[in-house]
Amino acid sequence: MSDELDEIQGIFFEECVEGLAVAEQGLSAMAEGDVSSETIAGVFRAVHSIKGGSGAFGHAALLAFSHRFENVLDEVRGGRIPASAEVTQIMLGAFDILSDHVTAAQSGTEPPADAAMLEQLDAVLESKGAVAAAEPVAAPVPAAEADDFGFTPVAAVIEDFDPFGFEPVAVDLEDFAPAEPAEPAGWTVRFGPSRGALANGGEPMLVIRELEDMGAAVTGVEMDTLPGLRDLDPEDSYFVWTLHVPGTVGEQDIRDCFDFVAPDSLIEIEREEAVVTMVVVEQSVAAEFDGFGVFEPLPAPEELLTLVPVEPAPVVAAAVSPAAAVSPAAAPGKPKAEARQASVEVAQSIRVDLSKLDQLLNLVGELVIRGSILSDRLSPADQERVELPELSRLTRQIQDNVMSLRAQPIKQAFSRVPRMLRDLSAETGKKVVLETIGEMTEVDKGVIEKIGDPLTHMIRNAVDHGIESAEERIAAGKPAEGTIHLSAEQKGARIIVRVRDDGRGINRERVRAKAIERGIIAADAQISDEEIDGLICAPGFSTAETISNISGRGVGMDVVRSNVEALGGRLEIHSVPGEGTTFSMGLPLTLAILDGMIVRLSDQRFVLPLANVVETVQPEPGQVQATSPTSEVIELRGQYLPVRRVGEMFGVGSNRPPEESLVIIVESETAGNVGLMVDTIDNRREVVIKSLEDNLHPIRGLGGATILGDGSIALILDIDALVAPTGGSSKYALKGMAA
Amino acid sequence: MSKLILTVDDSASMRMLLKASLAAQGFQVEVADDGEHGLERMHEVKPDLLITDINMPRMDGFELIEAVRAVPEFRGTPILVLSTEFSDEKKTRAREAGATGWITKPFEAAKLGAAVRRVCP
Repeated sequence: MSDELDEIQGIFFEECVEGLAVAEQGLSAMAEGDVSSETIAGVFRAVHSIKGGSGAFGHAALLAFSHRFENVLDEVRGGRIPASAEVTQIMLGAFDILSDHVTAAQSGTEPPADAAMLEQLDAVLESKGAVAAAEPVAAPVPAAEADDFGFTPVAAVIEDFDPFGFEPVAVDLEDFAPAEPAEPAGWTVRFGPSRGALANGGEPMLVIRELEDMGAAVTGVEMDTLPGLRDLDPEDSYFVWTLHVPGTVGEQDIRDCFDFVAPDSLIEIEREEAVVTMVVVEQSVAAEFDGFGVFEPLPAPEELLTLVPVEPAPVVAAAVSPAAAVSPAAAPGKPKAEARQASVEVAQSIRVDLSKLDQLLNLVGELVIRGSILSDRLSPADQERVELPELSRLTRQIQDNVMSLRAQPIKQAFSRVPRMLRDLSAETGKKVVLETIGEMTEVDKGVIEKIGDPLTHMIRNAVDHGIESAEERIAAGKPAEGTIHLSAEQKGARIIVRVRDDGRGINRERVRAKAIERGIIAADAQISDEEIDGLICAPGFSTAETISNISGRGVGMDVVRSNVEALGGRLEIHSVPGEGTTFSMGLPLTLAILDGMIVRLSDQRFVLPLANVVETVQPEPGQVQATSPTSEVIELRGQYLPVRRVGEMFGVGSNRPPEESLVIIVESETAGNVGLMVDTIDNRREVVIKSLEDNLHPIRGLGGATILGDGSIALILDIDALVAPTGGSSKYALKGMAA
Repeated sequence: MSKLILTVDDSASMRMLLKASLAAQGFQVEVADDGEHGLERMHEVKPDLLITDINMPRMDGFELIEAVRAVPEFRGTPILVLSTEFSDEKKTRAREAGATGWITKPFEAAKLGAAVRRVCP
């Protein structure tokens, strides 16, 4: 069961993440003034579910915190605490801590310090929401995040853990019983179920059976209340059973059997001389200790109280508000009609393990390759005869579908940002506003999972180094609040994620000085502004005068860049002094399949991503002209575009004259449209990207490799890296899209 | 012929946990993920016992219990409420709605089994 429990626990954490997203969305909506009961109920339910599961999996700290948080939400939900701006702010803060708790529970690390937040929550409860939001409590920056969640399964129950904050009040039978003799005497139990014990599917017989399982025996049945057949009501109960239970059975175990018995039933447990009449209310309180509850009783009929009358009334009065006790319908809670309205159409969905999708994707990749082989080996006539085009079309549809299964809105990666900014604002005292664009752009889940870290560092960097303090901003004639724009857009087969701040921009003087000081560049290096900006991604570079606890956690932008590149992406930095800095991540939409154009250079074949191809030109004599010994341009409709000879770049050139070559005009991120000169074009193919990274160092201009239909290997060109102006610091040249 | 239990909970992990725990004790388990779905499943599987959560979207546990009790066929079907909620108001409501008993989350497998056997002949 423990393996199974592990698996279920994994699902629980998935649900936590979903629940947190729902809660954050709801709380954000509340912060913007949407305090509809539907929104509040959504947040409540999300936190409630996290609490439920956390108990089941033994995450005590998470359970305790979510429980207190839930209490406040419940009051807000019931309208007893207003959903004021202050209360909502506190709940947003509580949400942040809750996220940390979930992370801690998942990674098995120390739970966050939540005492201050718990105090705030309690203050809200006590004052019924009449609180002012305290200064935001900065969440402690989590220690280096563990990558592997190697936690040990916890037993699914915490013994004696009392999450409800009250002392169980057991009826102390010891007052009436002598000290336990060595051979305990047996129990005599009398049980007279009331009419109510048969309602709602109750079955007193089962209680007797349960006692019998413990070794009890029925010693007598009192039937004197049984009416004549004419008056007998089959839904009523007339018997009182007497049972003998062995003395070895604990009294609590006997009591437990009566947990669900209607509270007005007769239950007597007798040992030697002492008789105790139990009224179920104490039992219910005691029973809660065991995780069972029984509904609070109706007042016990007088005649059933024998030796030790117990007064249930005070307990009930203390526990239930009169209104609720008298008329549950009038009790606060969601009216039914409203609940109906709140019913949301939930899309039918199932969970699929990502590794299964990966496997499917691999198979589809193989299928694509087989398709290529068929089209390579069959003549066009034969291809028609076996309906290969149909097969290709189906294959492509399957591939698109599998891709879409893995595609998810990038919103998932963006959802962490608002919280991060709240923390950073609290930490730095800088006010920052977030603007998000394009969060519904869909990207492969694998990409989404991996951009979280780079994104985090870019945001941290923007707040820590980019955005100025309010005073500095006002002095510079800017609004006191800094703005961070976070955007995602799809461009061809890539997705561009940008983090733009309106801060001070990169201080190139300082960056340059620092780079020289660190020996990253020579003191007399002639480098462009862009290259200087790029230096902040150089390993070991940090301009922060003091290692701040934000971006100077031993993780610089160099790690961001290598993360992005490992994804087959590229990081670009664009900065305007005084106006701000933009980090752009260009990432492949998918890590697996590419629509490519196969080109030939002497006997080598290369693949160009079709997404970048604009047009193909067969140059006329004189159309390609040299502008210097190392550069050529092609004249196209009155415009001159730079031309690169791919063959020369890779040393496989056949040195054909331009008029016997082809120039493929490609679109690049960095250099606009550029012509690439190749010998011929073979065809268009979907290719399955195989990474070179596993076996080779990154090679500038190559984004991976693929296996063609004839089994030969073709290298995939990374256009942006190919056309990037070769400059001084090619050491930092950015490479491409290896999967 | 082992007993058939329908569990209704909107949390997949809780459903699985219940199912695993009950199946290990020899019960057949069917699941539903909210009240409305639960009511549909009641008619489909006609379980010997219904275990339901309280807080669920679309139709909560109270509404489900009321709806189930309103069907003559299910008048005597035992219903256990499984919830972390502990307010007396909730208990009163559940009882008025027609629940047979009450189990708190988190549950212990053995206690759960005992509770089930206590209401499920």
